[in-house]
Amino acid sequence: MKKILLILLIAGFILFRQVSAQTVTTSPSDEKDIKVFKDKIANVIKKNDKALSGLVTSNDGSIIKLKGGDDDVFEVKLDGELTKYFKISGASKKEIKADDISKDDYIIITGILTDKSITANSIFVDESYIVGSGRITEVDKDNYSVKVINSAKETFTLDVETSTKQLILNIKTLGIEQTGFSKIKEGDYTHFVVKRGIDVKDNKYPAQKILVIPQEYFIK
Amino acid sequence: MLGGFFGLTLINKNKETQLIKNKVIAPTIVPDKILSTDSGIIQNLEISSPQDGIVVDNGSVKITGKMEINSLIIIQTPIKDISFKTKKADFSFDLSLALGENVIKIVAYPSDKNQNPQEKDLKIYYLDSQL
Repeated sequence: MKKILLILLIAGFILFRQVSAQTVTTSPSDEKDIKVFKDKIANVIKKNDKALSGLVTSNDGSIIKLKGGDDDVFEVKLDGELTKYFKISGASKKEIKADDISKDDYIIITGILTDKSITANSIFVDESYIVGSGRITEVDKDNYSVKVINSAKETFTLDVETSTKQLILNIKTLGIEQTGFSKIKEGDYTHFVVKRGIDVKDNKYPAQKILVIPQEYFIK
Repeated sequence: MLGGFFGLTLINKNKETQLIKNKVIAPTIVPDKILSTDSGIIQNLEISSPQDGIVVDNGSVKITGKMEINSLIIIQTPIKDISFKTKKADFSFDLSLALGENVIKIVAYPSDKNQNPQEKDLKIYYLDSQL
């Protein structure tokens, strides 16, 4: 009986050693599998990657406070080793330092967001635009401006300047064509792009671009 | 004894009948569709992809969505303006992106011109792959 017990103990010990050895040894093919698995995880993270953007309210070198789109306040944690900083201008970007980011800058942050806090991987200083649409309620031919009311009943005053790109929908072809201020009428719909600025008052903006949908389209 | 049992059964039956009569049948909520006043179902503007706030690493994105046939769709971004009429309920188009934040407004003017336009806003971040 004792012999049987001893044999069973030895067999159990050998089996345990083999199992233990299997769990710690990795063959080259296992390492390849691990790499594939890691890449897959990285891809999933990348696919789910989202960014946050808003206006800087303060920057103390380790934390940036940010006001988001719905006036939500976020805390952006900066990591001396990890976080990279860029300024976007047109189609290119250049690397900058954390100190170059100041109050009222518009920034985009990538990183992991938890509640109202984000640990930044990268921060981009960028321009911010408002893209809107609504019905033209007033055309001021003396000051070259139009008043637009949107679906949320907000009113915008758009200054049409020489640099403003003025476009109109051709109601026959539905193509988009260049136009002039004289073609814009009260009652038309318009789509517009303006640059968000800190010194804007009463929703009055110089228009970057307007696209008019003539009212005739709706009575055709 | 038997009378009591019969009475109880009658009370229960009456309760069941009342419950059936008072049962509220709530209308089925169809989030992306509304019922037309005339006939059939009108498809509201719906953007299936991409998700709002997503980061992409190339300079264009395919936008797919749904809207009622014969609606005028206007898409505007700071760098692009697109207009077309929907021939099918599903639509898709490629949109070029600027480096950084891309604010995209998609407005659908329904074929019934008495109906209000419908709008969707998207923010897509084109931040290249080196990061």
